[in-house]
Amino acid sequence: MKSLDPRVERILQAEPTYIAQPKIPLDQFGTFEVFVEPKEGKPFQHEGIVHAPNLEMAYVLAKEAFTRRFTCTSLSVVETRDVFVSPMTEGDQNSYDTIPTAPDESRERKSFEIYHLIKRGKQHVHVGNVIATSPSNALSIAKTKFNSGKVVYNVWAIQTDKIRYSTQEEKDLWITLPEKKFRDASEYKGGDKLKEFLEKVKP
Amino acid sequence: MNEPALKELLYKMADDQLVLGHRNSEWTGMGPLLEEDIAFSSMAQDKIGHSLALYTLLHQLGESDPDTVGFTRNATQFHNCILVELPNDEYDFSLIRHFLYDTAEAIRFESLTNSSYVPLAQLATKIRGELRYHTMHANIWIKQLGSATPESIDRLQKSLNYALPFALGIFEESNFENELIENGIFEGEVKIKERWLQQIKKILAQTSLELPDVDILHPVLGGRTGKHSEHLQPLLDEMSEVFKIDPTAEW
Repeated sequence: MKSLDPRVERILQAEPTYIAQPKIPLDQFGTFEVFVEPKEGKPFQHEGIVHAPNLEMAYVLAKEAFTRRFTCTSLSVVETRDVFVSPMTEGDQNSYDTIPTAPDESRERKSFEIYHLIKRGKQHVHVGNVIATSPSNALSIAKTKFNSGKVVYNVWAIQTDKIRYSTQEEKDLWITLPEKKFRDASEYKGGDKLKEFLEKVKP
Repeated sequence: MNEPALKELLYKMADDQLVLGHRNSEWTGMGPLLEEDIAFSSMAQDKIGHSLALYTLLHQLGESDPDTVGFTRNATQFHNCILVELPNDEYDFSLIRHFLYDTAEAIRFESLTNSSYVPLAQLATKIRGELRYHTMHANIWIKQLGSATPESIDRLQKSLNYALPFALGIFEESNFENELIENGIFEGEVKIKERWLQQIKKILAQTSLELPDVDILHPVLGGRTGKHSEHLQPLLDEMSEVFKIDPTAEW
């Protein structure tokens, strides 16, 4: 059968030719971390990463990569290299206990967003923000502000103005999402339909 | 209300959405990078959703149900512009078409939020966010690749030159143009085209791409009255292939 897609036709018609080539260096986009606000007022939670050439494109690509199924109210993205992390701990060791007190170097103060990982295998969740002079200083201030003694396995600090948040007018990007049930496999009730069919064809 | 005029408006919009939605879905699994593959496929799905919503309005006005209307008509019965039926070829063309068409689509629906035909105004308001994303996505790719490398600029420029006469065909006027305007149903193609041109120029001005002089171009017309290119019928055959195996099946 002839494909309607000309690219498939070209693949089918291409003569197999092989000339040894040097390995081409990887030319890949950098990564960006994606956070989602599941409901108005609920804290942002980390969802994963996207590859993109810049922050704005990361935002646009993240929208469909991470918010095409489950309802949410907004999105934020930041370049991976702008995420500063505490040591990852295990068992009952609190990551905050491994964070040294970093002095206030009394330079320019900036706002940092703080995220906690409270269960291994789960997502980092936003807990609040601190004003600090450096990422290390931010983690050390977070230790006094957000350490309740409960085990936190990992802490992230991200400078607030490095994060691309949804604007107020972009909030309508998600208003039709609850209606997109066709993106949910369970909505097709495949099992029920199969059962019904088997009943019907029973001898 | 002038029903034939309204129906014609709904049909041309619905057919555009269905045909372009299907075309764009051909990229599913073949997009240039995973994230883009997902985004482009999602938007294709949105377009099919828009066509369903419009065919549903037509059904309420007495036309056949959406599946019958979508899957059983021949090319000559479709009112889409020719731009949306053209084969994808390379991604540069698909992006340029996405940019040219979705900009026009967003302006059209924005205008229709004020339509005197309330169900259409309600639909236009409802899908505003989806269209905002579509144009946001189109604009950022055009800005990115339209000023990236000599190859990306050259490829987009060639696609733009090729697609533009077809894009002008989006605004092919209907015989009912005056009735639609007088009844406050639709502002008319002339005004939509004017705003479209402004917006296209605004985005292209931020790139190394040049907009050909639209005043000396011949728009490719005919789509709105069922005169299509040879590409539409094969698309419709493929799209309706499964439906036609058993038109009564419930999915």
